[in-house]
Amino acid sequence: MPGLTDAGAAPPAKTELRPRWRLDAGDYVAAAALSRDGARAAIGTGGAGALLVVDAETGREAFRADAHPGGVLALGWAPDGELVATGGQGERAKVWHASGELWRELPGGGPWVEHVAWAPAGDRLATASGRFVRVWGRGGEPLVEAGPLASTVTGLAWRGDGAALAASCYGGVHIWSFAQGAAPRHLPWQGSLISLAWSPDGKVIACGSQDCSVHFWRLATGRDSEMTGYPFKPRALAWDARSSLLATAGDATVTVWDFSGKGPERSRPLQLAAHSGVCTRLAFGPSRAVLASGSQDTSVLVWEPRRGPKPVRFAFLEDEVTALAWHPAHRGLLGADAAGNAIYWDVALGGA
Amino acid sequence: MHDPLPPLGREATMKKIPVTVLTGFLGAGKTTLLNRILTEGHGQRIAVIENEFGEIGIDQALVINADEEVFEMNNGCICCTVRGDLIRILGALGRRRDKFDRVVVETTGLADPGPVAQTFFVDDEVRELYALDGIVTLVDAKHVALHLEDSAECKEQIAFADVLVLNKADLAAAGELDALERRVRGMNAMAKVLRATGADVPLAEVLDVGGFDLGRALATKPTFLEPEYPFEWAGTFDLDEGAYELALDEGPDETMALAALFLEPGEAAGERDPAERAARAWSAPATETDEGGTVAVGAAAPHVLRLEGAGAKRFRLVAPKAGRVGLYTQHLPAEFRLRLERDGRPVAPAAERAFAAAHAHDATVRSVGIHLEGEVDGERLNAWLSKLLREQGADIFRMKGILNLRGSPNRFVFQGVHMLFDGREGQSWGAEARASDLVFIGRNLDREALTRGFERCLA
Repeated sequence: MPGLTDAGAAPPAKTELRPRWRLDAGDYVAAAALSRDGARAAIGTGGAGALLVVDAETGREAFRADAHPGGVLALGWAPDGELVATGGQGERAKVWHASGELWRELPGGGPWVEHVAWAPAGDRLATASGRFVRVWGRGGEPLVEAGPLASTVTGLAWRGDGAALAASCYGGVHIWSFAQGAAPRHLPWQGSLISLAWSPDGKVIACGSQDCSVHFWRLATGRDSEMTGYPFKPRALAWDARSSLLATAGDATVTVWDFSGKGPERSRPLQLAAHSGVCTRLAFGPSRAVLASGSQDTSVLVWEPRRGPKPVRFAFLEDEVTALAWHPAHRGLLGADAAGNAIYWDVALGGA
Repeated sequence: MHDPLPPLGREATMKKIPVTVLTGFLGAGKTTLLNRILTEGHGQRIAVIENEFGEIGIDQALVINADEEVFEMNNGCICCTVRGDLIRILGALGRRRDKFDRVVVETTGLADPGPVAQTFFVDDEVRELYALDGIVTLVDAKHVALHLEDSAECKEQIAFADVLVLNKADLAAAGELDALERRVRGMNAMAKVLRATGADVPLAEVLDVGGFDLGRALATKPTFLEPEYPFEWAGTFDLDEGAYELALDEGPDETMALAALFLEPGEAAGERDPAERAARAWSAPATETDEGGTVAVGAAAPHVLRLEGAGAKRFRLVAPKAGRVGLYTQHLPAEFRLRLERDGRPVAPAAERAFAAAHAHDATVRSVGIHLEGEVDGERLNAWLSKLLREQGADIFRMKGILNLRGSPNRFVFQGVHMLFDGREGQSWGAEARASDLVFIGRNLDREALTRGFERCLA
């Protein structure tokens, strides 16, 4: 694709990331997140289902709680960094103060709470549990419930302006608007959608599909398209901050589609090939087109896809990479693996 | 459309968690067996995924209630239909450093086992962590006959099974049990069949079945690969010259075909050579014979006895000379209470043998086993199976094989579910005689066409 692989913008030499700190979370890390100010990291584990909150500068553990026996399945920081929400194998989502105090328990409506999502302004929290989506207010009060949907919810995301919420499941995507009088919207798709990523500008919803494709809808027109040819189901999806690049992975290769200009239809994607095992996690930096990818082969790679198809940084965990999260100014990258290792790397990328 | 599944990076090196699937109609005893697995599990950590609320309360086990979410894909392909809830739940259960020793999935009574089985072939995450150890189908020996005729789910649950447990055997008469066992073996020749009361089967017989272990199926039931005949029963009689009486009551059919042939001295009707002769005679146009008519021993064609109307029907069976006679019948004699008499006294067979029912090329669920000597060419086999499964995959529920592949010192073992198949190298042949065995279970199976197709794969 012209422009993307321009030799004039050769990537800097590939160098290994330097760990700032590392810790043993005690079990498979199922989810990890950094607060929006980059001050704190939250790590949730399988098995015992612990929640760890850690000072992101030092790696010092602020608290550890048995949050969801059986396993944490999802977690997310409120935008102000004072509250962290968790979901797991159990009927209730939990909201914790950063100090470690359990603030609220929220019944999700199904047997497990598999997704939690804070609205961008922090005024609402959405949970998905079984076939139910619930939205909670600032004080933990229930606001809205949707369900039962056609099947268990597999993805949950707010629009960038916080005025709408989307959930994927078998049969399509549901969108609920919080504008007065707006009707819910359903984007049908005869197939099993397994993940959902809403572009930051709110214009496109992309979903991974069980049938080894990525399906996406342009919301202005409702027109949908799909990208096929993935050898396995695409497990990871990520948008860059400008909503122009969508990174996807179904095997070891990271496939990046360019939505700028005429869009990805009939274009050739950028293929980022350096992992030797299936890519399990993708995370774009919050403000730049910097992409981190993690693989079953334990490697973590950092890419600048606009500059070239070679990784610019690398690092290793000790087992399958199960979580990746960026510092808001791209100064650090948190990664974790299936053996319970979590490492926070300093990242210093040249240029702006 | 579907090539053999691609290898996954970590699949070969990781020990996979075995998964046992329990199917069977409501009341067949799934929950009883599940409780036995949990209480006698010898300290194994077992996760149970259940779809019906049962009486389960075991401290050591994690029991998860899940709604069966059967997902079809956009392409409409039957083999892409999977259980979405299993993918999610098995994925979540795998997210721990210290894995479970075993997973048991209990399906609802009316579940089609296809999507459950396919989940373990189709989904790459599930395939990495888990291996389908076996599908165990519980059958209510007393009441299953009610469902066997008209329930597609019941037939499929039997057809998909690696192990068939005829439960509540204490409630069924011995004759009923024998007939049921013959019936289910005719549908699924590769399953291990166990009889039980209160699901009291040895757990070693239902766990660690090893989906690939066709070798054991062959060892435990070496006869099932024998050719099928157009008759279900052969009786050996020593007759004098003259006329006998054949009496039949009303049965499940309005006609009954039979043939009576002279045997060599010392031969039994059920042996291979005379059975083959009878099968050849069977292919001649049959003689329709009304009540009171005559069946000639040694005739070159079978007779079709007409049995319309109520009451017993009587026919003459005439032996032109004394000798040993093989009587071959389309259905089991017991189904018509068939008896041979002379001067009002019953004449008992010197020997008898029942054969697997072979109703060629119809919608009945059945098994076709093919045994081939000689080496198989891998590429031809692949081409043949791909075409076969593309065209008939919807009707082929399961397929298993142990193959003698040219150029390999090892067995090649594989199994398939509908259009999906998955194979790998097995044990070395060593000094053992090399041969290939292939078994299909499904509907509308044409034994001759399958055999011809397989034979064309010989190197």
